[in-house]
Amino acid sequence: MEAENNQLLNKYVKAAEGRSAGLRLIGAIWIGKILIFLTRRLGRGGTTLPGRTALLIAPTLSFQLAGRLKQGSIVVTGTNGKTTTASLIKGILDKAGLKCIHNQSGSNMAWGVASTLIENCSWNGKMDSDIAVMEVDEGAFPGVTASLQPCGIVVTNIFRDQLDRFGEIDSIQALIKKGLDASPAGNFQIINADDPSLASLKSSKKTNRWTYGLELDLPPDDFQNTGRDIKTCPTCAHKLEYAKIYFAHIGHYHCPNCSYSRPEPDVKLTDRRVTGKGTNQIEVTLPDQKMDLEVPLLGIYNLYNVLAAIACARAFKISTRIICEALNNAAPSFGRMERFEKDRKEMIMALIKNPVGANEILRTILNHPGKITLVVAINDRIADGTDVSWLWDVDFEQLAAIKDRFSSVIATGLRAWDMAVRFKYAGFEAEQLQVEDDFARAVELGLEQTAPENKLFILPTYTAMLDIRRHLNNMGLGIPFWEEH
Amino acid sequence: MSKINIYHLYPNHLNLYGDRGNMLALCRRAKWRGIGVDIIPVNPGDDIDFATCDLLFMGGGQDSDQKMVAEDLKGRSGEIRKAVENNMVIFAVCGSYQLLGSYYITAHDEKIEGLNIMDLYTEKGKGRLIGNAAINCTLWEPPRTLVGFENHGGRTYLGPNLQPLGTIIHGHGNNGTDKTEGAVYKNVIGTYLHGSLLPKNPLLTDFLLTKALAYRNQDTFLRELNDSLENKAHQAALKLAGS
Repeated sequence: MEAENNQLLNKYVKAAEGRSAGLRLIGAIWIGKILIFLTRRLGRGGTTLPGRTALLIAPTLSFQLAGRLKQGSIVVTGTNGKTTTASLIKGILDKAGLKCIHNQSGSNMAWGVASTLIENCSWNGKMDSDIAVMEVDEGAFPGVTASLQPCGIVVTNIFRDQLDRFGEIDSIQALIKKGLDASPAGNFQIINADDPSLASLKSSKKTNRWTYGLELDLPPDDFQNTGRDIKTCPTCAHKLEYAKIYFAHIGHYHCPNCSYSRPEPDVKLTDRRVTGKGTNQIEVTLPDQKMDLEVPLLGIYNLYNVLAAIACARAFKISTRIICEALNNAAPSFGRMERFEKDRKEMIMALIKNPVGANEILRTILNHPGKITLVVAINDRIADGTDVSWLWDVDFEQLAAIKDRFSSVIATGLRAWDMAVRFKYAGFEAEQLQVEDDFARAVELGLEQTAPENKLFILPTYTAMLDIRRHLNNMGLGIPFWEEH
Repeated sequence: MSKINIYHLYPNHLNLYGDRGNMLALCRRAKWRGIGVDIIPVNPGDDIDFATCDLLFMGGGQDSDQKMVAEDLKGRSGEIRKAVENNMVIFAVCGSYQLLGSYYITAHDEKIEGLNIMDLYTEKGKGRLIGNAAINCTLWEPPRTLVGFENHGGRTYLGPNLQPLGTIIHGHGNNGTDKTEGAVYKNVIGTYLHGSLLPKNPLLTDFLLTKALAYRNQDTFLRELNDSLENKAHQAALKLAGS
């Protein structure tokens, strides 16, 4: 493994030092920049085509450009929470006065990373940024890690997700391990202590490892947690036992057969109070001090994202004062519980893409008092996952249990009918359900059926989220992500 | 009142591709007609009496889970086979379908012995067979369509006297070459299709319920339901499979 990784790195170094490499790089940057300009003119994000084309011309582009960042790069991966975690980290680094670049649109494949680097370098390939924070897809993680040689890595969690792409959960874990092995010795690795499939992963090199976890008592609920896929000990395959489960397989676990157990986290969440606005007031305990902060993000799953960001910032030696200031003002990222308002009606858009993440969103919806309108937009394009069977693992039954509180439930997207059937079998009345193939019309329908002061929740898959967000932008709500700062 | 006992095999281990949807379809469609349903989860090591099982549902699992399941089922294959010969209903998806045959070779070249309930075996193949699929299902005459999603690494081959569940319209099927999908032996149905399969194919769900009722000599009349949503989802999926 070690040898294989070194070989890969040598290949990059050699290719980057080749005589034509400099010319190729400049050519790739120019073409990439022109394509970014053109795709944006067409109203697109400009994150796929430019990077893809540039990587074809100069395959070592990301390696070369990342090498010019003064403080290197940080890579964030895992099934859920990578976008929010990466954007929290960027917020802290900004506050610390670092010039930080970030693939904030969530375009997290190798070409999305390349597009971000191209956009932020000069026409002759100069980088004046200090650091890059890149969220990276689990499948792209080994390759991107090998090319960026990041100074830090954050891994949030592993759940079943897009099995049409990854095959099985075991293979996602193998990809994460490969990526950790491909990163340079001496870098820092931030790992979720409460995920038993991650805490057992060790890099083959000497690295600076930080773990984070929750130390709370939460009341139990009726969720079935079908996405709880890690049931056995990763070292001896015996059934794991839990003192606490927060959701899915995340919690305080130990193996009764061997010595494997949840490591004592370096960064712990030791207290939490939900404010009237639904935000989290929390106490975080570090090895040497305590921090109190209020984070304007909803839900338990976001607490993990906050802890990961704090651990990362501490590994980067940023003061707790700066971390607190940055996190107190954190805004939800792109489509993650993002709020819009129209005619005194609040719209909340929350991306759903796999059972565990979607269940966490449903938990948050359940905590909202008052009448709710719901639009669920399911696409089955490659970026969404082409297999929609995961919808049956989401506990929509929990929503059906409070079905009287829904003014209406609308299904839309390429798989609108699948979603409507899912609602029916969850226990909603057929009369409550509407199907509207056109997502723009579905959002309008949802707004019409929402009374002022009530809430409209929009739950889209990834590509449906891009479409709906563009529609909202056209309505004058929110701003396109490439104009965000 | 009629009643069906559904045994759900290893729900914590065999649940990879929305198998909960299949269970939900069986339960809801029975209950909407006033037919009682008892779900009995069967966990590894449990002492189970197949004499009281009307319908055995087996979902899909990862290779690692499947190995454990095969190990646990080994001692019970005789009982299950006896019940099958008496017309007990089994519905098995993906990994469990493979386990009904004589053996299954995993992606890591491990050979897992099956239950020998159906005359089929599964070899490993290059790459996984993934995507939307539609078949002409020959449980009915004339055949009716079934729609679902397949995602399997194994290639399954049927013995000469074993009926497939249907023939491929779109997709890969049992092995990507002979145009067959799934298998049917007595009241045992095995298939690679999920999606989940039963909610979008109410005809198959009702077929399984009817067979389970008949197995215990209960009234097999099923009141017609309003399936307009299910049928539209079926048609939409059929169209997507062809695109």
